[in-house]
Amino acid sequence: MLGQKLLPWDYGVRNLFRRPSRSVLTLGGLTIVVLLVLVVVGFIRGLEKSLAATGNPNVVLVYALSSGADIENSSIPGRSPSLLAASVDGVRRRHGVEYVSPELYLATRITASGMSEDALSQGGMGLVRGVTTAAPLVRDKVQLLEGAWPQSGEVIVGRLAHSKLGAEEEDLAIGQQVSFDGQSWTISGTFVAAGSAFESEIWAPLADLQTALKRQDLSMLAVAMDSPEGVADVDLFCRERIDLELKAVSESGYYAALQKHYKPVRMLGWVVVVLVAGSGIFAGLNTMYGAVVGRVRELATLQALGFRRRAILLTLVQEATLLACAGALVACLIGLLLVDGTAVRFTMGAFMLSVDSVGIAVACGVAALLGVVGALPPAIKAMRLPIVEAIKAI
Amino acid sequence: MPLVEVHNVVKEYANGEETIRPLDGVSLTVDQGDYVSLMGASGSGKSTLLNLIAGIDQATSGEIVVADTDITKLSRGKLADWRARHIGYVFQTHNLIPVLTAYENVELPLLLLPMSSAERRKRVGIAMEAVDLTSRASHYPRQMSGGQEQRVGIARAIVANPTVVVADEPTGSLDDETTEQILTLLSRINTELGMTLLMVTHDADAGSRARRKIRLERGRLLENGKPVSLVKGQTAQLHTA
Repeated sequence: MLGQKLLPWDYGVRNLFRRPSRSVLTLGGLTIVVLLVLVVVGFIRGLEKSLAATGNPNVVLVYALSSGADIENSSIPGRSPSLLAASVDGVRRRHGVEYVSPELYLATRITASGMSEDALSQGGMGLVRGVTTAAPLVRDKVQLLEGAWPQSGEVIVGRLAHSKLGAEEEDLAIGQQVSFDGQSWTISGTFVAAGSAFESEIWAPLADLQTALKRQDLSMLAVAMDSPEGVADVDLFCRERIDLELKAVSESGYYAALQKHYKPVRMLGWVVVVLVAGSGIFAGLNTMYGAVVGRVRELATLQALGFRRRAILLTLVQEATLLACAGALVACLIGLLLVDGTAVRFTMGAFMLSVDSVGIAVACGVAALLGVVGALPPAIKAMRLPIVEAIKAI
Repeated sequence: MPLVEVHNVVKEYANGEETIRPLDGVSLTVDQGDYVSLMGASGSGKSTLLNLIAGIDQATSGEIVVADTDITKLSRGKLADWRARHIGYVFQTHNLIPVLTAYENVELPLLLLPMSSAERRKRVGIAMEAVDLTSRASHYPRQMSGGQEQRVGIARAIVANPTVVVADEPTGSLDDETTEQILTLLSRINTELGMTLLMVTHDADAGSRARRKIRLERGRLLENGKPVSLVKGQTAQLHTA
């Protein structure tokens, strides 16, 4: 096809400016379609990243055998950390510190001092994790973004915690107060965790939280091992100490199971991508039919001059693809500026929509598809008209 | 040796269940440098004959040989290539490409031929000068009058130095004064550039400018009022359905 004489590139470009209002409307439509694709792919990618980033294969989660996979309902004895550390080889130790993080985890209604009535009525359900200073050793992706580690009566908040609560970012700024379970806490810092689910949590000192909740037990232990093989040793410990009623699972395995749990959601997302792209193609077809119908005589003239049908077809595809690519460019710009990083709440916490290279590639692919598939049928239809008939077309 | 030889050409097309046969065994020859006008009543098939010779329509049967090539045997793609090299088409409604300037419209047929951009520039310049529109080279069709548009159309038809220039009612949409200018221009193309010209017209005055006047009438191909003597001793006939 490319070996033959083609129409000038300018011809295709200038045709886009021939009916500016139509081109602008088409561009707007294509941009919306591509942007929708970008948002859906951003949702899928954000969810995948959040769950993937959370799982560390060297970390073992130990929780109550009776709780299934629901850590929130797990209750294990308060002495479990010392028993496990003393019994299992392979627990990471540095400078005499064991990387064992006892944690108390709960989902509860949380209010911040600056939260609006609307936010309070709509949201407020947050995730609180009682932790010790061992927590950041085990959760090595956690980094204090600003402020200080919480002292008694203080908490640190993940950078997406406000999203999970339905609050504004400034409602959870350092120095603000949050209240849950009848006690007020001062925010001493904010943390990030490489996009993982921890970023939607609020962390409080374990002892304070146990006092506030009047609990002495723990929800779970997070144990960092020297290698992923250490998971088996922890599992063996849990099986041998039947009195403790513990269960061990690698953190990556735990979140892989969650990924599986959310697979239907991701599948649904891809279905939406296909449906949106499909509807976009129909819109493109409609536009190109309109554009080609008004140019039947012109296209026949080009054939009469000696241009082959395929060369003219290529020009029509070029026009539509150029427009679709312009739509993709605008959509990607909007996506990067407005969509990327937007926090989305879900049951496990919150995650950020991610407009990454995959999302942009899918969006550009959809745009190219809209251009080619949208242009071909009307172009082929126009090319099939005999020249002598088409040349008389009005 | 004639430049154009039309042998016993039949053209049929279906109109519902009815078969229309605008050309029924027509034969004709045109020599190099001829200026031939094809006249006749509406629907007589004169445009059909012109389009067949120009290779934009295909005969149901018969043979059309132009510059030693039987164009009825060419595939659609080859026929397009052939048109680019051998035919210059002047349309009744100018048919300029609206998004291209006069210069670019004239240059269009040259893009199909193997030549350098310098050679293209030179040829477009000569063609634009021939139609006296050098000053309008950068104008778009919407910025020109009907007569100017047709002159650009003529420049586009002659720029590639085609074997035959065909013109289908080239003055059909023009006023009298512009018609005169266009007919004079076409005559000059024939006499000064030596191009072979076939023109369909329903205007007797326009037709009289041609050296050969062929009329399609009552199913017969007449030249200067007499039946055309045909190649291989046959009589050229043209029947309307």
